[in-house]
Amino acid sequence: MTSTTLDQSAGLGDWLRRRRGLLASFALLVAFPFVISIIVDGQGLAAVVNNDLGNARFLQGLAIEVFILGIYAISYDLILGVTGILSFGHAMFFAVGAYGFGILLKTFELAWPVAVLVVVIAAIIQAFLFALVLPRVHGITYALVTLGFASVFWIVIQSSDLADYAGAEIGLQGVESPAWFLDTTNERFIFYLLCLGIFFGIYVLYQRIVDSPAGRVFVAIRENEDRALMLGYNTFWFKTLVLVIASITAALAGMIHTMHQPIVTPNVAGLFWTVTALLVILIGGMGTITGALIGAAVYRLLEYYLDRWFGGASGLLIGAAYVLLVLYVPFGIVGTWRARAVRIKQGRDRLLRLFTGGDDGRTPARE
Amino acid sequence: MSVILEAKDLRREFGALVAVDDVNVQIEEGTLHSIIGPNGAGKTTFFNLVSGTLRPTAGRVFYKGEDITDLPVHKTIHRGIGRSFQITNIFPFLTVHENVRLACQALGKDSFRLLRSHRKYRQYLDRTDEVLGQVGLTDKALQVAATLPHGDQRKLELGMILAPDPEVLMLDEPTAGMAAEQVPELMNLVQSIQETGDKTVVLVEHNMNVVMSVSDRITVMHQGALLAEGTPAEISADERVQTAYLGELYDSAAEEGTS
Repeated sequence: MTSTTLDQSAGLGDWLRRRRGLLASFALLVAFPFVISIIVDGQGLAAVVNNDLGNARFLQGLAIEVFILGIYAISYDLILGVTGILSFGHAMFFAVGAYGFGILLKTFELAWPVAVLVVVIAAIIQAFLFALVLPRVHGITYALVTLGFASVFWIVIQSSDLADYAGAEIGLQGVESPAWFLDTTNERFIFYLLCLGIFFGIYVLYQRIVDSPAGRVFVAIRENEDRALMLGYNTFWFKTLVLVIASITAALAGMIHTMHQPIVTPNVAGLFWTVTALLVILIGGMGTITGALIGAAVYRLLEYYLDRWFGGASGLLIGAAYVLLVLYVPFGIVGTWRARAVRIKQGRDRLLRLFTGGDDGRTPARE
Repeated sequence: MSVILEAKDLRREFGALVAVDDVNVQIEEGTLHSIIGPNGAGKTTFFNLVSGTLRPTAGRVFYKGEDITDLPVHKTIHRGIGRSFQITNIFPFLTVHENVRLACQALGKDSFRLLRSHRKYRQYLDRTDEVLGQVGLTDKALQVAATLPHGDQRKLELGMILAPDPEVLMLDEPTAGMAAEQVPELMNLVQSIQETGDKTVVLVEHNMNVVMSVSDRITVMHQGALLAEGTPAEISADERVQTAYLGELYDSAAEEGTS
């Protein structure tokens, strides 16, 4: 009976078949710069590689922003959607990466691998800070405490005392690209591929994590933390692990952001940036991992095009879109899709039983 | 026979109320030991103290001669004490299989592994199938736990306690809320687990008939204190028990009859 939950024999062909959706979307996104170059600019394929582009270059940049937002949102989905920890301080996870990487490169002139290492260590320390209050406060109180952490960071980062480092309200600017492949201005296509690779790498990694023994415990904590504790899981360490993973991931998104944007503004530490992560996973489907990526694309494109077409009224329209979404697609795009897939499967099974002389008692066979 | 679990002068106060009043109980290895008493006798509080979910005001709990009074909840299970709750406590939105599998996984040392699929850890899957067979839920393995009827949820919970193969099973009213005709089925299950696995079972029950037929020893609690202890025959012959427990029941039964 339970053998249906086991996975079937592995093999390259089988692996490719199971991953066909992922591989297809990867191939599409690799082809994306070439396609838009032809459509938007009417230029050849060589123009993409040589970075000799017009509007298509901007669209590549927009795609990179989607990747950054996707990596950032996926880490929030692990915390909130998978494990059920309500944190409102997630922007700080991102901002520590963004500001930390920029300051280390610009002011301290560290080599980029060293800077990455320092940021990762900072992210881990930060995760432990967030974990420290876990046993003391729960639910909405935890959300408020983490919001407090992030607010303190937000205020400190734009203080005039740190203006030499972080650039006060204006933000951090003038961070030079430390390596040729991190240069979004001159090597846009290479940088695009790098971000795409990281984006898919993180996605596959997160899928594995959720499916792993530890990932199952994360889900158990979301479902019934007391029971998980009674089963013998020290839930505190599992939640700490979640925060560490998410913190490093969000910091990674922040570092890419610093490389991609000319200015890192204090907004990336603000409450709205946390709310953005929340909206993205609400759009995509909470706890689905895939939803964070789809949500990121929908959110960023919606935001950009509504702003372009409607200007000042765009905020109102985005708000209206969310209200409609929460009302009619409450489980997000991926969540709703999966529920629909289950219903279709149930319907198909019932039909099959009907024709094969079903014996489940509910649908008597017709002679 | 040796004592496996011992409560020594166990006391718990909630404000002015003394819920458990200096109770001494010794539970012998391999027996089915029941704790009974009228409502408010302190059975569940006593139970929570022994299993580590509540801290006593005074007194100690010993497991195989070791002091386990201050052991955190998640560690008692690793020592070999499994407990169930009066209120069904499962993962409602996970499948029956996953509920039990999580219980099996807790036993091993793989729970912090992050990169391999949980389906690759065969030992837990095999153990899950074994446990599901034992509690008779094999056919319902892929159902979402919340959709099970109440009786099956109680069985599932029993399975989750059985999964790590504990030496001591502590069951707090396992038949609570069950239909009368389902009760013997579950009690037979408990008894067969105790006998075939040579386990120690500590049972808190309200249902007197059930307790009398399956127990090796019975402890009677009344108003937080220990009233009597002995074999089922001794208990049913005990006058104090009759007046305090049975008497009360008979009185209320008589009242119901006259009203």
